[in-house]
Amino acid sequence: MTDLAAPPPPPPPSPRSVEPRIDPGLDPALEPVPLPPIATAAPAISAPIVLDRVSRWYGNVVAVNDISFSLGAGITGLLGPNGAGKTTILHLLAGLLRPSAGRVLIGGRPAWGNPAIYRDLGLVPEREAVHAFLTGRQFVELAARLQGLPDAEAATARAIAIVDLESAADRAVGTYSKGMRQRAKIAAALVHDPPILLLDEPFNGMDPRQRLHMMDLLRSMAAAGRTILFSSHILEEVERLADGILVIYAGRLAAAGDFREIRRLMTDRPHTFVVRSSDDRRLAAAFMVEPAVFGSELRDDRLTIRVTEFSGFTRIVARVARDAGVSLFEVAPTDDSLESVFEYLVSRR
Amino acid sequence: MTVLAPIGVIATVTLRALLGRRRTLLMLLVAGAPVLLGLIIRADRSGADALVPSLEGLTVTSVLPLVSLIFGTAALGSELDDGTAVHILTKPIPRWSIIVPKLLVAAGLTAVLLVPSTLLTGILIGGTGSHELGITFAFCIAVLIGSFVYVAIFVALSAATSRGLVIGLAYSLLWEGLLAGALPGTQYFSVREYLRGIVSAIGPHDTLASIVGAQGFLLAMVAFLIVTILASTRLARFEIRGAE
Repeated sequence: MTDLAAPPPPPPPSPRSVEPRIDPGLDPALEPVPLPPIATAAPAISAPIVLDRVSRWYGNVVAVNDISFSLGAGITGLLGPNGAGKTTILHLLAGLLRPSAGRVLIGGRPAWGNPAIYRDLGLVPEREAVHAFLTGRQFVELAARLQGLPDAEAATARAIAIVDLESAADRAVGTYSKGMRQRAKIAAALVHDPPILLLDEPFNGMDPRQRLHMMDLLRSMAAAGRTILFSSHILEEVERLADGILVIYAGRLAAAGDFREIRRLMTDRPHTFVVRSSDDRRLAAAFMVEPAVFGSELRDDRLTIRVTEFSGFTRIVARVARDAGVSLFEVAPTDDSLESVFEYLVSRR
Repeated sequence: MTVLAPIGVIATVTLRALLGRRRTLLMLLVAGAPVLLGLIIRADRSGADALVPSLEGLTVTSVLPLVSLIFGTAALGSELDDGTAVHILTKPIPRWSIIVPKLLVAAGLTAVLLVPSTLLTGILIGGTGSHELGITFAFCIAVLIGSFVYVAIFVALSAATSRGLVIGLAYSLLWEGLLAGALPGTQYFSVREYLRGIVSAIGPHDTLASIVGAQGFLLAMVAFLIVTILASTRLARFEIRGAE
C-alpha cells in the first residue's frame, strides 16, 4: 500500500487549465467549482489520455459517436447504462480497437497498433477470463515477466499485497470468487506501476469491504499523480470515487466535468409525475397556476403533471392539494430511471 | 531482459493450457486411431500392401489436419475469443513473440503425438523390412513437417478471424480433400500435396505425388514462414472480439 505512494513516472502535465464543460451556453448560473481533470474542448495532445473526435462503428452500428476529451492525473468515472459504449471507449484507449475516425492517444502516442503504450498503461478488463489453472501469484507474475520487470517476483508480491490477496495467492484462479478474481486482475494490471490505469466495471462482484478498500487504493494511486479512468453503470460508485465524470449515453458524450454539476443537472431536469387523488380534475386546475408546473394532462383517469424542477414540485405538491381540498392518494415520478436521465443529458447538448 | 524471455513465459502458459485434460485425452484417442487400424490389419495378415494407403489415407489426410486444427486454434483462437489473451496482448512485446511460442508449442505437441503414432502404425502394418521401414520413416518426416505447417496455418486463421476452426476445417476437408490436386496448379496451395511430395522424395515408394523432388520441402518451408509472418501481422492489427 505504502509503496504506491512513491512517485510514479511523471505523467505529462494535466490540462487543468481547461474549464469543465457542461454545455456552458445553457447554464450560465453555474458557479465555478474545483476543476476536475477533464477537458472536452481542444484536447491537449500531451495529456496522458486523449480522444480527439473519435468514432467507432461496427458495420452500420455506431458504438462511439464523435467523442472528444482529454484526461490528466486524477480519477475519472465513465458513467453510462450498459451498452452505452463505455467498454468500446476503454478498448479504444487500450489499443484493442481501431478508431473508425479520429485519434486516440496515450501519452501523445497513438494507442492502436502500438504495444509500447502498455509500458505506461494497465488495463483491467471486465471479462473474467483468466487461465483457471494458474495460481493468483503465477497470473500476476506472468504480467510482471511480460512487462520485462527486473525483479518480477518482488513486483508480484508487492502487487498482490496492494490488492490484499496474499491469503489466496497460491490457490488456482479457478477456485476464486468473482471479487478475488477481480483483485487478481487489478494486481496484474498495476504490477508495473503504470501512470495510466483503465478499469472496466472494477467493482462488479466485490463485497462492500473490498469495494471500500479498492476505492482507497485507487484514491491513493491518483493522489500520487496517476491518471485513472474507470467505467461504471452505478451513479453512487462514480459519485463516491471520481474527481471528474464523463457521462456516455448511446455512444455519445452526454456530459463531462465535475460530478456536482452533473448531479445538479440530473436532479433539476424537467420531471413528470403521475398523481392519483380524490378529484383529479380540480387538482389539475390548481396545479396549473403554480409556476413550477408547466403542463398537466388528464387522460384515462390518470393525471400527469409536468414540472420544471424535481425539488420545486415536491415542495408544493402537498400544499396545493390541501388548498384545493383534494386528497392525494399517490404521487409517483414516471421517469426516474438512470436511462431517462442520460437521455435528457444527451438531448440538452 | 532479452526478447526471448516473453517467448519462454508464453510457451509455458500455452503448454499448460493445451494440456487440459479432456482435450489431451481426445487427441490421444485420435492419434491412437491409426495404431488401432494397424493392429487390425496385422491381425488380418493383409500385409504390407496396406502400408501406404493407411498412412496416407488415415494419418496424413485426416488425423494430422484434425489434431493440428484442434491444437492450432486452441493455442490462440480460443484465448482471443474468451478474453484470456487480453492479458498477454496488453504487454509491451512484439506480436511475433506471442505468435511464435504459441505456434511452436502447438506444433510440437501435435508432432509429439503423431510421429510416434505414425511410426508404430507403419511398423505394425509394414513390419521392419528395410523397404517398408523406409516408407514408414518417410511418413514420419512428412508428419513432423506437416505438424508445423498445418498448425501455422490454423494459428494464422485464428489471428485473422473468430471462425478459424470452421475455416480451417473447410480448408482441410473441402479444399484439400476435394479440389486441390484435381486441377493443375492447385497443388501449390495444399499442405497435403507438399507432404505427399516429401514422402515420394525420401521414401522408396513412388506415390502419385503432384509435387516432386525437393519441391515439397521447399514449399512447406516457404508456406510455414509466410503464414507465420502473416499471423504476426494479423495479431498486430487484432481487434477485440465480442465487444458491446
